[in-house]
Amino acid sequence: MNRTPLQSLALYGTVVLLAALILFPVYWLLVTAVSTSADLSQLPPSFWPDEAQWGTFAKVWEERPIPLWLLNSMLAAIGSVTLSMVVSVLAGYALSRFTIRGGHSLGLFILTAKMLPATLLVIPLFSIFRNFGMIGSLWTLVLAHSTLIIPFTTWMLKGYFDTIPRELEQAAMVDGCSPMGAMVRVVLPVATPGLAATSLYAFVLSWADYAYARTFLVNAPDSWTANLGITTMRGEYSTDWNEISAAAVFVAVPIIVIYLFLERYLVGGLTAGAEK
Amino acid sequence: MSRVRLFDLARPSRQHLLGYILLTPAVLLVGLIIVYPLIISIDLSLQAVKLPRIGAPRAPFTTANYERLFASSEFWMACWVTLKLVVVVTAGSLITGVSTALLVNNRFRGRTLARLAMALPWAVPEVIAVVIFAWIFDSSFGLMSWLLVTLGLSDGMVAWVSTPGAAFWAVAITMIWKGYPFVSIMTLAGLQSIPTDFYNAAKVDGANVFQRFRWITLPLLMPVLGVTLVLVILWVFRDFSIIKVLTEGGPLKSTQTLSIMTYDQAFGFFNFGYASAVGVVTLVICVVASLLLLGRQTRAMY
Repeated sequence: MNRTPLQSLALYGTVVLLAALILFPVYWLLVTAVSTSADLSQLPPSFWPDEAQWGTFAKVWEERPIPLWLLNSMLAAIGSVTLSMVVSVLAGYALSRFTIRGGHSLGLFILTAKMLPATLLVIPLFSIFRNFGMIGSLWTLVLAHSTLIIPFTTWMLKGYFDTIPRELEQAAMVDGCSPMGAMVRVVLPVATPGLAATSLYAFVLSWADYAYARTFLVNAPDSWTANLGITTMRGEYSTDWNEISAAAVFVAVPIIVIYLFLERYLVGGLTAGAEK
Repeated sequence: MSRVRLFDLARPSRQHLLGYILLTPAVLLVGLIIVYPLIISIDLSLQAVKLPRIGAPRAPFTTANYERLFASSEFWMACWVTLKLVVVVTAGSLITGVSTALLVNNRFRGRTLARLAMALPWAVPEVIAVVIFAWIFDSSFGLMSWLLVTLGLSDGMVAWVSTPGAAFWAVAITMIWKGYPFVSIMTLAGLQSIPTDFYNAAKVDGANVFQRFRWITLPLLMPVLGVTLVLVILWVFRDFSIIKVLTEGGPLKSTQTLSIMTYDQAFGFFNFGYASAVGVVTLVICVVASLLLLGRQTRAMY
């Protein structure tokens, strides 16, 4: 496509302007994190502090249990992603390769599961976990996050398996592999990029949760996840905006890094089998 | 003659059996953590209970929760707030998402970078987005108020989170920022699946850029946009973190959606029965709305 210089200028101008507008809140988070409290209580606001206080990051890391919160988020995510991936890989493979009676109603069911409001499901889950004395334990999140993850990953993985030709397994089986052996030794290695992308996507879903963590863990500070911990940094009357912003950067960075890796696979994840 | 091996999974006639075996763990787990809890909550909604123990004798069957619900002005107010939020956030996300997608669908240098930047808010966890916007909408030193005053649009600093009308907009803007990248990503995927031949043919026929958008891009994008629209609506319907952390549903319940009402009835007032009734009604609305909106296209959702 050939553009006149004027068209190019308009295109780049619009892109830069829109990107600046969209990224501004993220920039503002960084500026706030490195400002002093005095900088933050003046108008007009300064768009870059005279002296950037990078020390706030170290201060928050040491004074608040941020490493613990991040660790808890990480544990909940690893647990729920592992559990969900094991069952979804098997189920996704089954749905891709075999004619399952009732497959259509299963699809409808998964669709309904995606519509379930977490605020509805959290009520019976709370009752169940309370019965088993699990309230306050990170295991509650492993199970609760799986309710968010499985409906997505099963169909995402079915989609990936659909793109792998059946001839691969047939060849392996002719060579003496059992059907399970063909799946484990031939299909899964080929599907590795898909498995990785799906796991990362599931990780993001778990990391973003606030409703379940708040309900099951609010009275157990040792189990607080990053999202829950950070909300406790907001005071009733005043908030140290620079400190909470610095903490927020620690929580957001892992997901932003994952996003940069995941971006080109994202469509598969978001649609989760929506095409066709 | 060899023994019949009943569980020889390699036998073609046993192939479907393997399928069911592989599906079993998922079915069991989903049954345990989704279906069983869902049955419990429907059951809870039909009992007059506060905070019951599971396994305790069931309270008598009653539809009192639903009667109370439909007679409560709080419920209808929550429906109204949800509807307003759905309309505003969906419209905002759709406009922003589609226009950013159209923009980065052009070929230009730095396009990958622009694409990453345009959808970045997708990667910011909702709670973190709220931390950012709570500060932008701060009533004493927030940027938004200062901007409005400077532009002459407001006489003084706006107490965003404690003024009903303003709180609604604070929530809506935060949700649009968080929600539009999804639309953008989906639209971009839709745009890239349109064959370039169509555009070339249209150009040969003398169609200008607007005609090409109206008669090629838009119709071919419609299926994707339909599904996307429903998913955004469902997200707004069910969202908890953004509203809860930003305004707690206040002030005066002006940002209390059905989702927030469900949660507060359960964990603020410990009315598990009543809260379940609100939640079940929310789920029914979600299911009916998506079926109506998608119609025959429902299959495309899964």
